[in-house]
Amino acid sequence: MTTDPTRDGTPVPLLQVDDLAIEFATPDGVVRAVDGLSYSVSAGRTLAIVGESGSGKSVSSLAVMGLLQQPPARIVRGSIRFGGTELLSLGQKAHRAVCGENIAMVFQDALAALNPVHTVGWQLTEALRARHGMSRRDATARAVELLDLVKVPNAKQRVKEYPHQFSGGMRQRVMIAMALSMDPEVLIADEPTTALDVTVQAQIMRLLSEIQAERQMGLILITHDMGVVANVADDVTVMYAGRAVEQASVFDIYAAPAHPYTRALLGSIPRLDQKGGGLAVIPGRPPDPTQVPAGCAFHPRCAFAEDVCRADPPPPTVSLPFDRTSACHFAEEVMNHDEH
Amino acid sequence: MTSTDVVLEVRDLAKFYPVRRGIVLKRHVGEVKAVDGVSLSLRRGKTLGLVGESGSGKSTLAKVLVGIEKPTRGQILVDGEDVSNLGRAERRELRRHIQMVFQDPYTSLNPRMSVGEIVGEAYAIHPDAVPAGGKAKAVRELLDRVGLNPDHIHRYPHQFSGGQRQRIGIARALAVRPKILLCDEPVSALDVSIQGQVINLLEELQDDLGLSYLFIAHDLSIVRHIADEVAVMYLGRLVESGTDAEVYEVPSHPYTRALMSAVPVPDPSLRDQRREIVLEGDMPSPVDPPQGCHFHTRCWLAPLMESRVDPAGSQSRSIPTICRTESPKLGALESPDHLAACHFADDVSAH
Ligand SMILES: Nc1ncnc2c1ncn2[C@@H]1O[C@H](COP(=O)(O)OP(=O)(O)OP(=O)(O)O)[C@@H](O)[C@H]1O
Ligand SMILES: Nc1ncnc2c1ncn2[C@@H]1O[C@H](COP(=O)(O)OP(=O)(O)OP(=O)(O)O)[C@@H](O)[C@H]1O
Ligand code: SF4
Ligand SMILES: [Mg+2]
Ligand SMILES: [Mg+2]
Repeated sequence: MTTDPTRDGTPVPLLQVDDLAIEFATPDGVVRAVDGLSYSVSAGRTLAIVGESGSGKSVSSLAVMGLLQQPPARIVRGSIRFGGTELLSLGQKAHRAVCGENIAMVFQDALAALNPVHTVGWQLTEALRARHGMSRRDATARAVELLDLVKVPNAKQRVKEYPHQFSGGMRQRVMIAMALSMDPEVLIADEPTTALDVTVQAQIMRLLSEIQAERQMGLILITHDMGVVANVADDVTVMYAGRAVEQASVFDIYAAPAHPYTRALLGSIPRLDQKGGGLAVIPGRPPDPTQVPAGCAFHPRCAFAEDVCRADPPPPTVSLPFDRTSACHFAEEVMNHDEH
Repeated sequence: MTSTDVVLEVRDLAKFYPVRRGIVLKRHVGEVKAVDGVSLSLRRGKTLGLVGESGSGKSTLAKVLVGIEKPTRGQILVDGEDVSNLGRAERRELRRHIQMVFQDPYTSLNPRMSVGEIVGEAYAIHPDAVPAGGKAKAVRELLDRVGLNPDHIHRYPHQFSGGQRQRIGIARALAVRPKILLCDEPVSALDVSIQGQVINLLEELQDDLGLSYLFIAHDLSIVRHIADEVAVMYLGRLVESGTDAEVYEVPSHPYTRALMSAVPVPDPSLRDQRREIVLEGDMPSPVDPPQGCHFHTRCWLAPLMESRVDPAGSQSRSIPTICRTESPKLGALESPDHLAACHFADDVSAH
């Protein structure tokens, strides 16, 4: 695996997604769940993917992992490359094999994913035993190591316990340990702290950051919590109705959002350190995925919309200074708009 | 605080659930002390935010207040009247004044009932609450009031989005013209962009109707936004309460401090300036809570206090005897309404 910087100093991305489009055939019609998504993540970097429920965050990640059920899903176009390898042309089995060794995912609802009838240690090493034919004793030793890695106290004892004996936070640690068991170069964490208390969320995020820094892993963090994003991300991709509507470095996007959706999202979150008046809101609601509005999908909710937004979809990537992009007819104006 | 300002008062309220083992005999082997001696007051037209980790007893408290669960001990006073001293009819009349909005807009509405039936259901229990114009008219007005189309009265819950369903839940709670609304995580199942709409609706309704809210939430930022006063729960007890500014700006219990510091601020430029207190471990079981101060097993302050009391003490985590043996009382700090239950409350902000 090459991770050497290229000549201009930017690292070669480990994982690169280009113009990915995914549809679902449903009784109500075709759902375009992901529509022209591109992103990349390099060693040691954290990419946060944010967006409303149904915007395509999980579906696109499952596609990266080769785990989409096809049908009903169909990958319409696009490319997913790991290192130099195009995964989409490999066939799903070979695709999964590449991921097994290199890309791991902590699934949304992971807390429900543990099997109640097997011990935690057994589940942690299932992949190792199956893939590498590891002996029982070695597997147990490795399970203890993995629990130690994710700072589950008393690992020797706890590998023998069952999932119901673990709290929510401890179970999430087990899921992270499981994802790390094959030493992945890229980890996708889909809402890893959503169901957890802030105190536990802080523990888990700290753990993820430490492990990432130590192993120089690429991390894709899917979340709806703009506070968590501000704390850990290097780069941010904002999704709306299947598209990446804005991509930028974390500092740029918070300082001057260049898409009206991002701007409205950041404006609508209450803050712990500020007592505000009325809460800014985004009117309306996300579109029905079978009936995405014509023109710009965000136009019915957008404060900047003009006739052109109702008629024409914006270019998928309006390039802006500092390597950022926004899919908005008025990207530059939105970015320079000052209302605060 | 004059007593007429207080619309709801709770004194030493407790709710214990029996723990039973065995399938046939169901031996009683202990108790879950879900709520254990909570006292608080809700002021008229104001919002009291209730925060605390999962399992700290917030929903149980709300369920006791709304009458879904019977308290194990303690008093509930509505407008100064003790609810438990009343006859059945009077109690029902008083209960009408406390209504609840539930967390999950997907499961809290009966899928087989139309919106009109859901919102009007409470009139069957409280016929005297039907306004002069009749039930149908009242329901239409309520839907309009919460920002839904009154013509959708015959639709079913699945035809509405999450945010709209939560509006239906609010309309249902408002039907019998309560004084007090208990909101248990009313927006946590909603998208960020929809949360704001529901919060603003609740604030508008409060201003127009003079409602008082007990607002339960995990999200400390939302509570900061909506609450006038804040109470913090840990393992069934209140550990701190005060005005929103007191609790958020001068948190005076080590647990509150830790909670606040764990909330990520949505501003990357503050990333390295904030010091976060990471609490170790999980909340202990409410079946067998720690002796003395409930929080001492996770407290970050106690070991610091011990080294002050006994600088030569052992290097391992040692806790002052008082924290391990005596339960701290909820006591006043600088202002008489700002209370914290910690033996070293005065030292919290110094660290
Ligand atoms: N098996 C499926 N059949 C049909 N449609 C699907 C299927 N799985 C996902 N979708 C649709 O694809 C879209 C994207 O879903 P996805 O799960 O990626 O959203 P998400 O951004 O992860 O949302 P959340 O924040 O709720 O997890 C949604 O409109 C969803 O309804
Ligand atoms: N019916 C019941 N029987 C036994 N124990 C119960 C019952 N209801 C709640 N408990 C226990 O009481 C404690 C407090 O629960 P409660 O639901 O009030 O917490 P909460 O603060 O609302 O938590 P969350 O933030 O997760 O909603 C928990 O330990 C819970 O397991
Ligand atoms: S009483 Fe002791 S253990 Fe409890 S919070 Fe205060 S310092 Fe910590
Ligand atoms: Mg998802
Ligand atoms: Mg609850």
